[in-house]
Amino acid sequence: MARLIASRLATGLITLFLAAFFVFFAVQALPGDVAEQLLGQNATPEAVETLRQQLGLDSNVWARFVEWLGNAVTGDFGESLVSGESVSATIWTAFSHTLLIAIPAMVVGVALSLLLGVWAAARRGTRTDSTVSVLALVAMSIPEFVVATILVLLLAILVPVFPAVVLAGPDATFAELVPAAVLPAVTLVISMAAYIIRAMRSSTIDGLTTEYATTAALKGVPRRSVLWRHVAPTALLPVLPVISINVAWLLGGVVVVESVFNYPGLGKLMIDSVSTRDLPVLQAIAVLSALVYVAANLVADLLALAVDPRQRTMHQPRARRRVKEATR
Amino acid sequence: MVPTIDRRQFLGGLLGGATALGLAACGAPALTLPERAATGTARAGATMRIARPAASAAETLDPASSLSAYEYLGALYNRVVKLDREGETVPDLATEWSSNADATTWDFALRPGVRFHDGRELTARDVRYTFQHILDPETASPQAGPLELVEEIEAVDTTTVRFRLGTPNAEFPSLLTAYQCYVIPEDSAGEIGRTGIGTGPFVLESYTPAGAGVVRANEDYFDGRATLDRIEFYSIQDTSARVNALLARQVDLLSQTNLDNPTARVVANSPGTTVARVENAQWYTIPMLYTSEEFADPVMRQAMKLAYDPRAVLSTALQGTGTPGWDNPVPPQLKAWLDEEREHDPEKAKALLKSIGREDFSTRIYTSAYEPNFTAIATAFASQVKEAGIRLQITNTAADSYYTQIWMAEPLMVSYWFTGRPIDQLLNQIFRSGSSYNESAWSNEEFDKLLDAARADTNDDSRLQKYQDAQRLIIEDSADLTPVFGDRLVGLSEEVVNYDEYGFEFDYLALGLKEG
Repeated sequence: MARLIASRLATGLITLFLAAFFVFFAVQALPGDVAEQLLGQNATPEAVETLRQQLGLDSNVWARFVEWLGNAVTGDFGESLVSGESVSATIWTAFSHTLLIAIPAMVVGVALSLLLGVWAAARRGTRTDSTVSVLALVAMSIPEFVVATILVLLLAILVPVFPAVVLAGPDATFAELVPAAVLPAVTLVISMAAYIIRAMRSSTIDGLTTEYATTAALKGVPRRSVLWRHVAPTALLPVLPVISINVAWLLGGVVVVESVFNYPGLGKLMIDSVSTRDLPVLQAIAVLSALVYVAANLVADLLALAVDPRQRTMHQPRARRRVKEATR
Repeated sequence: MVPTIDRRQFLGGLLGGATALGLAACGAPALTLPERAATGTARAGATMRIARPAASAAETLDPASSLSAYEYLGALYNRVVKLDREGETVPDLATEWSSNADATTWDFALRPGVRFHDGRELTARDVRYTFQHILDPETASPQAGPLELVEEIEAVDTTTVRFRLGTPNAEFPSLLTAYQCYVIPEDSAGEIGRTGIGTGPFVLESYTPAGAGVVRANEDYFDGRATLDRIEFYSIQDTSARVNALLARQVDLLSQTNLDNPTARVVANSPGTTVARVENAQWYTIPMLYTSEEFADPVMRQAMKLAYDPRAVLSTALQGTGTPGWDNPVPPQLKAWLDEEREHDPEKAKALLKSIGREDFSTRIYTSAYEPNFTAIATAFASQVKEAGIRLQITNTAADSYYTQIWMAEPLMVSYWFTGRPIDQLLNQIFRSGSSYNESAWSNEEFDKLLDAARADTNDDSRLQKYQDAQRLIIEDSADLTPVFGDRLVGLSEEVVNYDEYGFEFDYLALGLKEG
């Protein structure tokens, strides 16, 4: 068990390292550099060259990678090339803003879609089921920026309940952000829920046809208990990876949604950093996204272990041998 | 590079298309918009909210910088002189000016008793300091090039500034109207980027680069107090988010935003919001790179010009909101404008192409979402020149690297400028050989000589004649196409009164919100 967790952690670290490696070199390959972007259209080649030297952009790329990685491990991502402020501080502010929309979206979205998935499965073939399925399919097919635009049109412009955009910028206070966080969070719930609903529905349908479900029903266990006590927890297992992917997507910076709402989170910071070629900020955001991704997958794996005792033994070599012997 | 469609632009097209369909179904005509914003009495004590696209997190309130937060400048500062609608130089901080006989020494008499926001009195030393700051290579100001001819600046007495020029220039005062030339207090270069201390109609209250900021009315402004009490500036990077903020009544005015036609329809037809025009504010160009193999031949360039009708580009790409350019870069509102139409003759263009063995000429024309009308103009232009047998492949590229990767690198692209440069600056900055803004890299000795002769000519009539000859030369030989001047379509609330903008001039003094 401990060995399993350790190996998962190691895989996670290697993934992170590879992500950092590819991010660093991909960012180097972007057309144009920060010196050109900072100086504007009419910069003389000499001025660009001088700034490049000042920023250390002319030194060896491998040496810069090693130095950057060494600092990054200690949480020091350097200073923004554009604003001159600490990258870590800038990113934490933006990340906390993103969490403000991501966590409610996550909690509400996951709970709601699991319920809807089980509900639709239990009423398989009825009008409820087809309504839920069709709605999920529709939500899946509409890109999140369309969802966002429709929400703005309905709830900010026609019926002005919520603000359409965040005006205050990165210095926005919590009180200013809360009303503005509602529409982005709802957009995320709608975009995310569809996948989980569909996964949960089909998994529950599979569960309902298993022998233990039939046995429980034959034993006289009430239908509701069969569904929620016996089938649903097991059905959750194959859905966990789907949830973890969506959570990672959500936390890793919901670029488009934040851009539409001018929401000062990680995604918007990323767009701004791309357009100004602010490499340290961009690299730090990418590494943070990778970290969230790895962590979300790790948590999903560990949760699966906790929910399903079979998985714990499955990974032990001896146990596998025993299974083989048994089948022989 | 692969053509891509920006997702948001695609949506804009969808929504716009839906609106356009709806209008067509009702038999609505092409886009009709009010010519001017509403005028009238404004209410006292109002606060206006303006949304703007921030240059970057490195933006500054230093007017000399290439990254200045443009919207704040006119509110906080004054220049020595400014421009009127006809492109003529008129007083701002200077009340009058004169030169010696050969236009090499210029004296400006400053308005007495003007105070900076910190209470200090404006003197000639501040003006001298301002221009020394602009000319300082460390500042890297875009206006340093045009002002290179200044050899010495002298504070003669408290209200007289003297500029000594290396070469005669009868149009020198017009060079001081650029928006980099706002006057800052002496020795303030170190902190001016944050303090914003000027002599202007508003005083800075707060400012965050790429964030929000507030200015309040300057009670002691020399030209009378502003109508508004406060202006709040908000930075919204994404164009559709900016439009949403306006439609949701979170802001009153979108600055530096040229709405595309579909969006303008939505804004004009929504309750509470409207669209105002800034006539011929956008000067669209299609530079043909002079140094490229494709366009080095003057016959080739002539054929490109003859092949298309700018009126067709105007009516299809801009739905008529603007003026056809006829390849003359001088906007019609300037007094120096040469009112002549060059010929449009696709058959002649075809014959010219044949004479140089290029009857099957084909190349790429680059465009991007950098400005909403680029692609429409590229498409309209490409379909026009097809008549002469020229095949242009429209190539859409990323907006954020458009001006670093494509501009002055690819032989044919769509580009634009804001109009509002005085005639001398326009011709010298964008068409003179070797100028850093010369986007087609065109070089013509005769043209450069003509500009020198014009600058040295102190007779207003014959100088005007020379500037018009220069325009003729651009039409005949230059590597820049000017298909259209487009009106800027500005989204604003119906509450806004006395909004007035032309060139780089913005009237912060009269701007207000409707009474009641």
